[in-house]
Amino acid sequence: MNPVRALLLTLALATMSPAYAELHVFVASGLGGEPEYEQRFQQQAHALAQAAERAGAKPENIVLLTGESARREPFRRELTQFVEKTQNDDQAVVVLIGHGSFDGEDYRFNVPGPDVTGREIATILDKLTAAQQLVVNATSSSGAVLEQWKRPNRIVITATKSGGERNATRFAQFWVEALTSPDADRDKNETVTVEEAYEYAARRVADTFKSDAALATEHSRIEGGAPARFVLARLGESAALPNDEALAAMMKEQSGIEQQIDALKARKPSLPADQYYDELEKVLLTLAHLDRRIDERKATLLGTQAREIDDPKTR
Amino acid sequence: MHAGVDRATRFVVASMCALFLAVAHTTSAQEFDYDPARPAALRACDDLRNHGRTPDARACYERLLSSSTDDATQAEAAWAIGDVRRANDLFRAVVQAEDNAVRPKVRWGRLYLDTHQYGEASGLFREALDLAPDDVYAKLAVARLMSETFDGDARRLVAQIIDKGGDKVLEAHLLAARMDLDDGHYGAAERSLQRAIALAVEQKQPPLEAYELLAALDLLRGDRESRRWIDKALAYNPHYGGVYETLAHYEVMRRRYTEANDWLKRAVEVQPERWSAQAELGVNLLRLGDIDGSQAALQRAYSGDPFSATTVNTLRVLDKLKDFAVERATSPDIVMRLDRKEADALRPYVEKVARESITTFSRRYSFTPQQAVNIEMYPNHDDFAVRTAGLPGIGLLGVTFGYLVAMDSPSGRSTGDFHWGSTLWHEMAHVFTLSITDHRVPRWLSEGISVFEEWRTGPTPGIAVSPRALDVFHDGKFLPVATLDEGFIRPDYPDQVQVSYMQSGLTCYFIEQRWGFDKLVALLRQFTKETTTAAAVEATFKMSPSDFDKELAKFLNERFAKYLADPKAWQQAMQAAHQAAGESKWADVIEPARRAVDLFPDYTLSGSPWLLLARAYDETGKRADALGALQRYRELGGWDPDALRKLATWLDEAKQPQKSLEVLNALTLIAPLDASLHAQLGERYNADGKAADSLREYKVLLALDAHDNAAANFGIARALNSLGDRAQSRRYVLQALETAPHYRPAQDLLLEITGKPTQ
Repeated sequence: MNPVRALLLTLALATMSPAYAELHVFVASGLGGEPEYEQRFQQQAHALAQAAERAGAKPENIVLLTGESARREPFRRELTQFVEKTQNDDQAVVVLIGHGSFDGEDYRFNVPGPDVTGREIATILDKLTAAQQLVVNATSSSGAVLEQWKRPNRIVITATKSGGERNATRFAQFWVEALTSPDADRDKNETVTVEEAYEYAARRVADTFKSDAALATEHSRIEGGAPARFVLARLGESAALPNDEALAAMMKEQSGIEQQIDALKARKPSLPADQYYDELEKVLLTLAHLDRRIDERKATLLGTQAREIDDPKTR
Repeated sequence: MHAGVDRATRFVVASMCALFLAVAHTTSAQEFDYDPARPAALRACDDLRNHGRTPDARACYERLLSSSTDDATQAEAAWAIGDVRRANDLFRAVVQAEDNAVRPKVRWGRLYLDTHQYGEASGLFREALDLAPDDVYAKLAVARLMSETFDGDARRLVAQIIDKGGDKVLEAHLLAARMDLDDGHYGAAERSLQRAIALAVEQKQPPLEAYELLAALDLLRGDRESRRWIDKALAYNPHYGGVYETLAHYEVMRRRYTEANDWLKRAVEVQPERWSAQAELGVNLLRLGDIDGSQAALQRAYSGDPFSATTVNTLRVLDKLKDFAVERATSPDIVMRLDRKEADALRPYVEKVARESITTFSRRYSFTPQQAVNIEMYPNHDDFAVRTAGLPGIGLLGVTFGYLVAMDSPSGRSTGDFHWGSTLWHEMAHVFTLSITDHRVPRWLSEGISVFEEWRTGPTPGIAVSPRALDVFHDGKFLPVATLDEGFIRPDYPDQVQVSYMQSGLTCYFIEQRWGFDKLVALLRQFTKETTTAAAVEATFKMSPSDFDKELAKFLNERFAKYLADPKAWQQAMQAAHQAAGESKWADVIEPARRAVDLFPDYTLSGSPWLLLARAYDETGKRADALGALQRYRELGGWDPDALRKLATWLDEAKQPQKSLEVLNALTLIAPLDASLHAQLGERYNADGKAADSLREYKVLLALDAHDNAAANFGIARALNSLGDRAQSRRYVLQALETAPHYRPAQDLLLEITGKPTQ
């Protein structure tokens, strides 16, 4: 499915259904080793927890473990409870930040005291039944678990391509940035999908190595699932809205236009450029008008002023 | 040539070795075996070869190869006909059979030396010297190796050989003469060569090497034809290209690449199988921008000598260079060769700096470039190094060969490691100083003017002198102006090249301050004819070079009086400020940082006290003072990219958007591949109604293939619409919406362009 269409469907569901699947987020930051890393990891973990809340996760559905609370036993216990609490229709997001290691046999998430192994985490996550699952391991050597943690309906992201990439990673920093700023929202629909966030973070990591003229010591990987369908963050007015029939109808119409755009884009290689853009323009104009009506409706529902479309700053 | 990598000193890693590397390999081939122990059977063949009777010589060597029962003789015969693999096998057999024999090891090592395999050569020479520590020819072989690799004191070794009973060793005198010529000691070279000639006659050895060096001596002394010794060499051997190749070597050393080319063409004309000359011709044609000609010559060189790292490396770089995007600009004519991946992003800025520099220097030096200026930028530093010197590993940022500038691309180095705009400005100044003087300008003056122009007219204004240079001056170790070139060509201490850059820049600055800029131009123009620095200084300033040196010292003592009064005081202030900053005691940073700034305000390089002061003010709630410190830092030439980003932000917060925009614009000459910078600039220019500038920035953003292409396409569409190009604007806005169909500003623009107002 085209990412844009899928996203719109997700948005429509988000808007229309009061029984909307719940978002559950588990974030753990491990041992920093040095005060600088310790502080950085904790800040990143907190930022992700806040982003989860903005994306619609209820506070009780967010688990944040840092410092001593991320020791092996609390970690295992909290993750197990997180898994048990998550329902079949829910979205589950697990993020590990910090240092990892790989001894050739198993991956270890470095936490105060004994480490948590990749196998232990895999065993707990095996019980996760959520329809949409995202596991982000942003630690060094995280590539070692890519295959081990892969499951149907689960997207696994690792900061490194293998267990051999052992240097402290930069991925988490940009993953946080992707979810907390509008920069990753490539299609400007005020939501950030896993695909957008991943591509943004991966590119930013590569850019920093380029900027440093340094050999890249990490190469992130993404496996499984449908990352374009998984909405991770909501920006601006795309937060959940109350039920509204008129809005639902317009969203349905919007989805139909999106399908037309998809179909046209699929035909692009076979069409003369002028014809393609002429046809595209027609559909985009229809969409532009509809989007304005949607904005107005949303504003009404939210009790705010409609966007000033003639705002000179947008010209 | 622009040297420097590290922000701490700006000119840190530079080494004139690059120039030597660029030219040294051409003379590496061992052609003559002067050792009296050389078997007589070989000497008969050698004689034919040395007189240019190549087919007869070849037949002679081939006969030996098939008939001789001596493996060492066979090895020499195989080497002489170019079958180096067989020669190698034969030498190995000889050495294995007779492990204690010295000469086979030396000769085998010379074969390795001839085929550029220095490690193996060194090992064999060491083994030979272990067996016979006083063996003259083993020592000479080591001296040759040192001379070619610039590793070790070859001069001292040769002197020892001659002093300790080796006065009759012809090769020692030849090697001494060669090194003397390289070092500009012409009298000593002449004496060595006269002795060599006498020995060659006495020992019935070929005089060709002596002739070629005498021809070079004439050339270096101003006889551009050098006919006397060329004729003698060709009379002895009409097919001896070595004489021309050596002349080319010294032309390259003087940066006279066109003249070098003429000699090299003659070298390969009389001796097409002279592979070292073919290789040097290829490298030199590349210096002149003739890519196809270079490739052809290098391929010929490779066909005969596949062992040359220079040839192989340069051919590889040529393959890459041929794939570069070629961007042309006119009035003035500029040809830019940029890596395809970054050409669209870099071209606007490279062109801008090149244009501005040409306009500036044309006006200042009353000279119009006579041909297009070629600019090559290499994302891979080793490619740049190979292109420059034939070998990777040089510590330079840019090099100018007349009308061709080659330099590192901004992507080739860590952001903040170098200011590419300033580097290009520096190199463009070389284009002028070299062209105006037909490459006669001495190295110090060319570098001095380039550094001076960076300070006075370039993108980093300010006298960015290092404390190290002032310390050297303080210690009375600045070179006299008459011999300032020595600091570049024959440095006496590790960072003398970097200090010499600074001294040269300061000398030009002094001339400008004392007599006005026109006198600097007048000094440069002295070199439109053959002259020396001493004579040029005397003619320009009507004073002796030593008086000039005294005046310079007086000027520097006044200009940097506070620092020079007690250099340790500045160091102590810096240390105190940095220590307090390291402990985040920002209130304690202010006093020593202010003291450091007061003692030496010009210091804007790494760890500048201005940066500490700005941070300390900001951390203690004095934003206005912090802003002032950063502004002063920039005015004095500071360009740390993080500091400039902060300065732009602070200026915005202080409601000074125009100044902020200037700073952001300056960042394009430091970090041109930073997508966020172009997004910011595009938006700023749009807000200021500067559609053309906004368009440039968004086009660069699109070329950078950043994550957010919709924003780049929209920015282009908006700028084009403002410029009245509705058709193109429509195409770009549709491309923006193709990626991001709900992108509201783009939708608004589409509605406006199509004249369909919101329903």
